[in-house]
Amino acid sequence: MSAEQSGSSTAVETPASGVMERFSYDDRIVRQFILATLVWGFVALLLGVFIASQLADWRLNFGISWLTFGRMRPLHTNAAVFAFAGNGIFAGIYYSMQRLLKTRMYSDLLSKIHFWGWQAIIVSAAITLPLGFTIGKEYAELEWPISIAITVIWVVFAVNFFQTIFKRRERHIYVAIWFYIATVITVALLHIINTIQVPVSLWKSYPIYAGVQDALVQWWYGHNAVAFVLTTPFLGLMYYFLPKAAEKPVYSYRLSIIHFWSLVFIYIWAGPHHLLYTALPDWAQTLGMVFSIMLWAPSWGGMINGLLTLRGAWHRVRTEPILKFFVAGLTFYGMATFEGPLLSIKSVSGIAHYTDWIIAHVHGGTLGWNGFIIFAMVYWMVPRLWKTELYSVRLANVHFWTGFLGTLVYIISMWVAGITQGLMWRAVDGTGRLVYPDFLETVLKIVPLYYVRAIGGGLYLVGFVIMLYNIYKTVRSAPADLKDDVVSAPRLTRNTIENLGKTPHRMLEGLPVVFSVLTLVAVGVGTMIEIVPTFLAADYVEANPLLKPYTGLQLHGRDLYVREGCYLCHSQMIRPIPSETLRYGEYSRAQESMYDRPFQWGSKRTGPDLARVGGKYPDLWHYRHMMDPREVSPGSIMPAYPWMYRDKTDFAIIQKKLKVMKSLGVPYTEVEVRFAEQQAREEAKLIADQLVAQGAPKGTEEKEIIALIAYLQRMGQDFKKGLIQ
Amino acid sequence: MSKSDDNDPNRKKSTQDSLESQPHHLAGHTYDGIDELDNALPRWWINLFYITIVFSLGYFSYYVMGDGPTLVREWEIDRGEQEIAQLSKPAGLKSVTEDELKLVLKDSTRKLAGQAIYQSKCISCHGAHGEGGIGPNLTDDHWIHGGKMTNLVKMVTVGVLDKGMPPWGTILKQNEIHSVVAYVKSLRGTHPAGAKAPQGDLVEQ
Repeated sequence: MSAEQSGSSTAVETPASGVMERFSYDDRIVRQFILATLVWGFVALLLGVFIASQLADWRLNFGISWLTFGRMRPLHTNAAVFAFAGNGIFAGIYYSMQRLLKTRMYSDLLSKIHFWGWQAIIVSAAITLPLGFTIGKEYAELEWPISIAITVIWVVFAVNFFQTIFKRRERHIYVAIWFYIATVITVALLHIINTIQVPVSLWKSYPIYAGVQDALVQWWYGHNAVAFVLTTPFLGLMYYFLPKAAEKPVYSYRLSIIHFWSLVFIYIWAGPHHLLYTALPDWAQTLGMVFSIMLWAPSWGGMINGLLTLRGAWHRVRTEPILKFFVAGLTFYGMATFEGPLLSIKSVSGIAHYTDWIIAHVHGGTLGWNGFIIFAMVYWMVPRLWKTELYSVRLANVHFWTGFLGTLVYIISMWVAGITQGLMWRAVDGTGRLVYPDFLETVLKIVPLYYVRAIGGGLYLVGFVIMLYNIYKTVRSAPADLKDDVVSAPRLTRNTIENLGKTPHRMLEGLPVVFSVLTLVAVGVGTMIEIVPTFLAADYVEANPLLKPYTGLQLHGRDLYVREGCYLCHSQMIRPIPSETLRYGEYSRAQESMYDRPFQWGSKRTGPDLARVGGKYPDLWHYRHMMDPREVSPGSIMPAYPWMYRDKTDFAIIQKKLKVMKSLGVPYTEVEVRFAEQQAREEAKLIADQLVAQGAPKGTEEKEIIALIAYLQRMGQDFKKGLIQ
Repeated sequence: MSKSDDNDPNRKKSTQDSLESQPHHLAGHTYDGIDELDNALPRWWINLFYITIVFSLGYFSYYVMGDGPTLVREWEIDRGEQEIAQLSKPAGLKSVTEDELKLVLKDSTRKLAGQAIYQSKCISCHGAHGEGGIGPNLTDDHWIHGGKMTNLVKMVTVGVLDKGMPPWGTILKQNEIHSVVAYVKSLRGTHPAGAKAPQGDLVEQ
């Protein structure tokens, strides 16, 4: 074994040939990951139904800070993507890779560290996100200590993963392993590059990127989190579990080669389609759009290879829930990967962006594809791992139909909501006026659909609970002794030209290190071409000496805006679309967010855009609005923020914040940094005094709401004052 | 698994059903019992891929390397058309006289329409009965920007940006603004509860 482990990177292994070796698979770790998948899946779905209900009825925010939508939504997305799907992926990878490579995992200890480390990260996310500790970038919210822990645990996983490949007893790596390799490499790349932060305190940090740069890096990350967490590993899992469950050969080896390489090469470029019509340079937007369109066929390659593998097994789909989940899952994948390129067309994005259409799109993928593949996998693995029979096939069928119906209700209601609202925003009458100038009117129109969506999500959750019961009963019937089976396979002989294979790709499959390096190159090209030019930001965001950075109080208020997750419902990016500039004013310029760390352009407008909200309303309006939005905006569905009127501003930290910002190149003077606290207190006093004059109660100067108002009133002012052209 | 593969009667059937040439199991491509076939790439699929690539090359060449308009340029063109549309509707620009507005004040239907607009747009700052709040009291005889109805029409149309009064001219039609101004004028002297202290100059009427 040790000789194998120390084998060179080209997998030249022991010279002995044909020696049979007996070994066992580590199935215990797979069982653990499956149980974690089920626990966190329940949490993620419950949170989803909860926040969906909050959008239907704002009272479900309860006026409690840590239960408010802005804090719960990041928890929902993190739980769904990294806890539910994450653990599901690990379960499937640990199960399949050992068998596909005919070897036990390299190290049981590393597997255990990976498992418990990952669960600890999830628990820490579940504690810190409701407390408002967040980086403020979607799907990358976890603050720097947890972010570092993710890196460490991922490296542990990667070492265990690659070492297992090196000690394999199968000369060539199967297509599932290719997809796992792409996942392990790219997720590390994405996570590390996107979350380089400079700490201010234990639970507060600023990104090294600002504004347009931060936006590009974030959506390069965000889009590829979808690609390399929710797509490539699932395609890999599909390539193992689908032929297993269908007991059919994979349809086309050729197709798997073409769609693997085209997928990993093209996916990485497509991130800017999240930023169409924004202040991102036009060329980057166009690249994002065209690569998204070219992604259509490679994505469908996986779907058709899966569906065609079922040839001759279709009659079994009628009776077997596992195959039903696969067929529906692949179909939802096909729908979502057609919808994705469609939404990336600029003019379609113009209607769909910021609306619930995008919510429909992502849930078609997560509920329909990721969820269903995990369910299929769990139903297939559990009886085998617990050496028993599934408790009830009937209940699994009920689960399928409940989940299927729930997914349809969810995505159809959100399609309707998104298109309705998108068209209402754009409606302009013959006199050149907005038909629905009141943003609120466009919200109230779709609130009934928010109820429908919550019902859809609720159905999906009911299906999941049925599965939990089914699995519980199955596991209860397992024998007490779950010893790992002993299997045997011949030791791998040294690679030679003859045994590596005839075609270049076949040879590559015997050389996993070369394969991995090529994968890194494939994802590296798009990364470099898109991200590096914007690092040379001077070309795109000209330095403007007229622009002053945020005052200390405004900066602190901005951090409160981030803490409360305002960006999850409000954008700060006015697009150059006539109806939009009519509603919000001139389109946003790149310079306007040059000091924004993190950028807060947002991705959804449950409420109106705020890029130019500064000066639009008096301070007193904001003061009343944040206390109870319905007082000044009847019918509003926004939560109230009463704690901001109780909690005191941490004036002491402001100096530290300015210091960190200054170290990142923000032009604060020495004096501004030295007297940061004093200046912030004076500014707060001024605002509080003016509020009193307008009729607000006295003694608010030390409260957080004052800092938030300072920030809100600053937004868009540089442009309004003509400092930006 | 490989055992069940070999014994599966359906596989033979499916192979016979297949319209394509007999797909063969690739020798040596067996992983944990999973075999691989080597069917040709579906023609429609590969064509789809080519079409998207050709489209993308063309699109990128035109919009990035060629003369294609930028998104901002397209916006400028669209906005220009919008402005022409606004200008071509003289209703939006017609000035109104005090006497015409007094007629609106006597028209109960128009006043009701004005009340509805007031309820949806104005009460958040001026109170449900014009008593004032974030904005000034509208029921007394004090006015900051002049007490004539024509003054009010102008003020509502262009707004008072410094104080947070939005320019309603981009949102409401002119006759709607006239209606709401008439309604506001009809609130004079109603002395609602919680009325805000007078602001601005006393206007003799």
